[in-house]
Amino acid sequence: MELILDHVSHSYGDVEVLSDISLSVGSGEIVCIVGPSGCGKSTLLRILGGLEKPDHGAALIAGEPPSDSLNPLTYVFQDFALLPWRTVEGNISLVLEDHSVRKDKARAIITDVLARTKLSEFANAWPRQLSGGMKQRVAIARALSVNPAVMLMDEPLSALDSQTRELLMDDLIELWGQVGFSACYITHNLAEAVRLGHRIVMLSRRPGKIREIVDIDIPLSERINHPAETSAIQRRLWEAMRDEARAADRELSDVA
Amino acid sequence: MSLDATNEIETRTRRNTSDLQQSRKGLVKPVPFRGGGFVHTRHRLIAPLLFVVLVILWEVGSQTGFISNIALPAPSEAAGAMSDLFETGMIWKHLSASLYRLVIGWSLGSLIGVFVGLAIALFSLVRAGVSPFISALFPIPKIALLPLFIIWFGIGEGSKVATILFGVFFPTVIATYGGVDNVDRNLIRMGQSFGLSWMSIVRKIIIPGALPAILSGFRISASIAIILLVAAEMIGAEYGIGAYILMAGALFATDQLIAGVAMLSVLGLTVGWLISRAERLLLSWRA
Amino acid sequence: MIKTTRRTALSMFAATAIGLVTAAGLSTAAQAADAIKIGILSLTSHSPSIIAEGKGYFTEQDLDVEFVSFQAAQPMAIAIASGDIDFGMTAISGGLISLAEKGAVRIIGGALQETPEISGQKILASKAAYDAGLTSPDKLAGHTFGVTTPGSSFHYMAHKIADKSGFDRSELKITPMQKVPAVIAALKSGQIDAWSIVPNIAGALTKGPEVVEIGKVSDYIDNYQVTTVFTSTKNVTENRDLVTRFLAGLSKGIADYNAALVDKTMSADEVAEITGMVHKYVYADQPIEKAGPRIAAGAMRINEGAKLNIASVEDQLAWFQSEKLAPEGVTMADLVDTSFVESY
Ligand SMILES: Nc1ncnc2c1ncn2[C@@H]1O[C@H](COP(=O)(O)OP(=O)(O)O)[C@@H](O)[C@H]1O
Ligand SMILES: [Mg+2]
Repeated sequence: MELILDHVSHSYGDVEVLSDISLSVGSGEIVCIVGPSGCGKSTLLRILGGLEKPDHGAALIAGEPPSDSLNPLTYVFQDFALLPWRTVEGNISLVLEDHSVRKDKARAIITDVLARTKLSEFANAWPRQLSGGMKQRVAIARALSVNPAVMLMDEPLSALDSQTRELLMDDLIELWGQVGFSACYITHNLAEAVRLGHRIVMLSRRPGKIREIVDIDIPLSERINHPAETSAIQRRLWEAMRDEARAADRELSDVA
Repeated sequence: MSLDATNEIETRTRRNTSDLQQSRKGLVKPVPFRGGGFVHTRHRLIAPLLFVVLVILWEVGSQTGFISNIALPAPSEAAGAMSDLFETGMIWKHLSASLYRLVIGWSLGSLIGVFVGLAIALFSLVRAGVSPFISALFPIPKIALLPLFIIWFGIGEGSKVATILFGVFFPTVIATYGGVDNVDRNLIRMGQSFGLSWMSIVRKIIIPGALPAILSGFRISASIAIILLVAAEMIGAEYGIGAYILMAGALFATDQLIAGVAMLSVLGLTVGWLISRAERLLLSWRA
Repeated sequence: MIKTTRRTALSMFAATAIGLVTAAGLSTAAQAADAIKIGILSLTSHSPSIIAEGKGYFTEQDLDVEFVSFQAAQPMAIAIASGDIDFGMTAISGGLISLAEKGAVRIIGGALQETPEISGQKILASKAAYDAGLTSPDKLAGHTFGVTTPGSSFHYMAHKIADKSGFDRSELKITPMQKVPAVIAALKSGQIDAWSIVPNIAGALTKGPEVVEIGKVSDYIDNYQVTTVFTSTKNVTENRDLVTRFLAGLSKGIADYNAALVDKTMSADEVAEITGMVHKYVYADQPIEKAGPRIAAGAMRINEGAKLNIASVEDQLAWFQSEKLAPEGVTMADLVDTSFVESY
């Protein structure tokens, strides 16, 4: 299955946020979207996942999602969005209950995703007991449990400290090696993009337009061994982005 | 590292410090500590102790005539009135009459209040239509409406339960829809993004999220219910703590008045304790 | 009590100040008149003190009167106990007896009394209860009877009706409504079956279709001493002269009141003058043309010379005690000082 944005433009009132954006996320592919803060990345992701209707253009699905996918387009949020009144297990079963996944089957799925995200011992913990990194692992486990066709990840590591971020990146790469999920991964952090993205789409400052698309051929698991190539790409992207970021930073804005 | 080693390092550090203090006398002194106070420490015994001391002072004051018995009856007299209540068994008649009114009035008021609160929070049409009425009717003292309640609901249990019910209803509505409004929007977004049904989102995200606010609303509404008990039992009540207090007032039986007021206090403490239990049970995830 | 202490201190200060001023020879005027405060309700039965003040009978007694209005009898008794007012006039209630027991107030005379020859308090039934067979007071068994509060004069009357009719007091369902307007509303809407009340209110009610008169209180209670005059125990023990002068002034007011409004032996002009005085405090919210007849309609005989029917007071005290609405230990001596007026 392929997820496509077809000439999407969007405005909030007088503020044009996205302008004529086309891109696609193929099967098993991680597309990273980078851009200065406020350029419309989150908006773009909401449109992709059907939480928002674009003014012009459309979000399209090509091909059928896998038949065992309970929720083909599944988000992972920056603030984790865990229910504080449910345990780790409860937070995952929440999204299974509505897809009428029965007890044993649900239990099997939960055990599986917890194992994959190295959370097995924390099944009965409350969210308040978990560190930020653990919380995001739970959110990723929850996303995996519905077997998504595409994961829509909005700055999933931005709320974490840099060590935790490193650890989680490693875990994501390992997970991708096992499951081969596809994802649209939003970040403002170029290092993350260069580590995780098969393709990197760079947006200009608001109104967000596509400025540059970079494909990286090095397999995810081997990038760590090619520091020179990856940092060269990262530097080039930064050069392109610096002025945009500086200008965006100086803009007045009503909404955070 | 072994425990001994740790200890050793610690003592050495300390020795070093005191060495420093000695060798550079006058030049080195400890940084003054400024971090004290503004921290709550638990003193479990203070409240009961203070209570006992006050009662003793009060009793002594009454016995010596420093406190005129017109101004305030001695605590022993109030205790006497209380023990009369137990001896004659009247306390159970008064308590059961009042509890019946409280339980029915508060439960119905809370139930309807939560439903209306949810409706206001979830449906913008209801919010636009109903919430101005809630704001307009909330500040009306229900006692002022008592004559109307009597015509509408009769002088039997109806008007008494209604007085409490209305008193409870409005704060519950406001607590509920305030609670729902404060539920993290991102959680609702999350529910939608996982394809949860509307009902599931309400049941599993919105209501649990609003529960802390609803429960603290219950705490207030239960106190309001107790406050309104006296008003509710003004009309046509033979039994009830409120009726007992009103009669004591009319007869200027101040010992009974204090006994009745003490019963209300105990009732209030009990209700507060029950709600704390409920909070601990239902909001255990907050800890 | 703090209040009393402060007042005493203040008057001591005042006395000292006057003493100093007099010593300095600056003022030689006669001793100022004694200031007293009289509590009144906006009812015709409180007219005598208003008339006495208007006609200068209190000034004759060297009393400087200030009226303090109350909404109900109960707070008036408490205000006497607290020293905020000096004299009051209300029905004997559980509260009054309780305050007497605490040594705060004393009855010093009688006022309103039921007598067979004057139209007195009426017993009323709601139309619904009347139609259902409650046509006379002796059929009240099993019916609801409105009172303001337990231990009020209404409660007493209800039980006396039961006693005389020969059914058990507990067969009357006493229904407290706190305030007279609430009792009226409940009676009119048929929420309670019966009530007893002074003739002017009864008359106004029975004019409408909702309420029917079924009897007279005087048929059930002999020479009922409805209201009494009372003051603080402190006045009775320490200021006997003041009390005597107050009662002397009041008695002249009572005489005028009875002559003008009850016996109607005065000339129209004098009646108009007296009605005008009363109107300042009673039905003051209505024009005199309307208030005049209502004041006249509410007039029941007040005992000449504030005579006190001891037998009736004794009966009332016994009733309060039998119903546990007054402390058991109260004696007539605690409640009444019979040395000021003629009693019988
Ligand atoms: N719901 C909304 N209503 C109005 N303006 C919005 C809304 N959401 C986002 N915006 C505005 O759109 C712009 C892009 O926002 P967003 O997509 O969150 O940017 P990013 O995620 O790239 O930082 C910002 O200027 C923001 O203020
Ligand atoms: Mg964003």
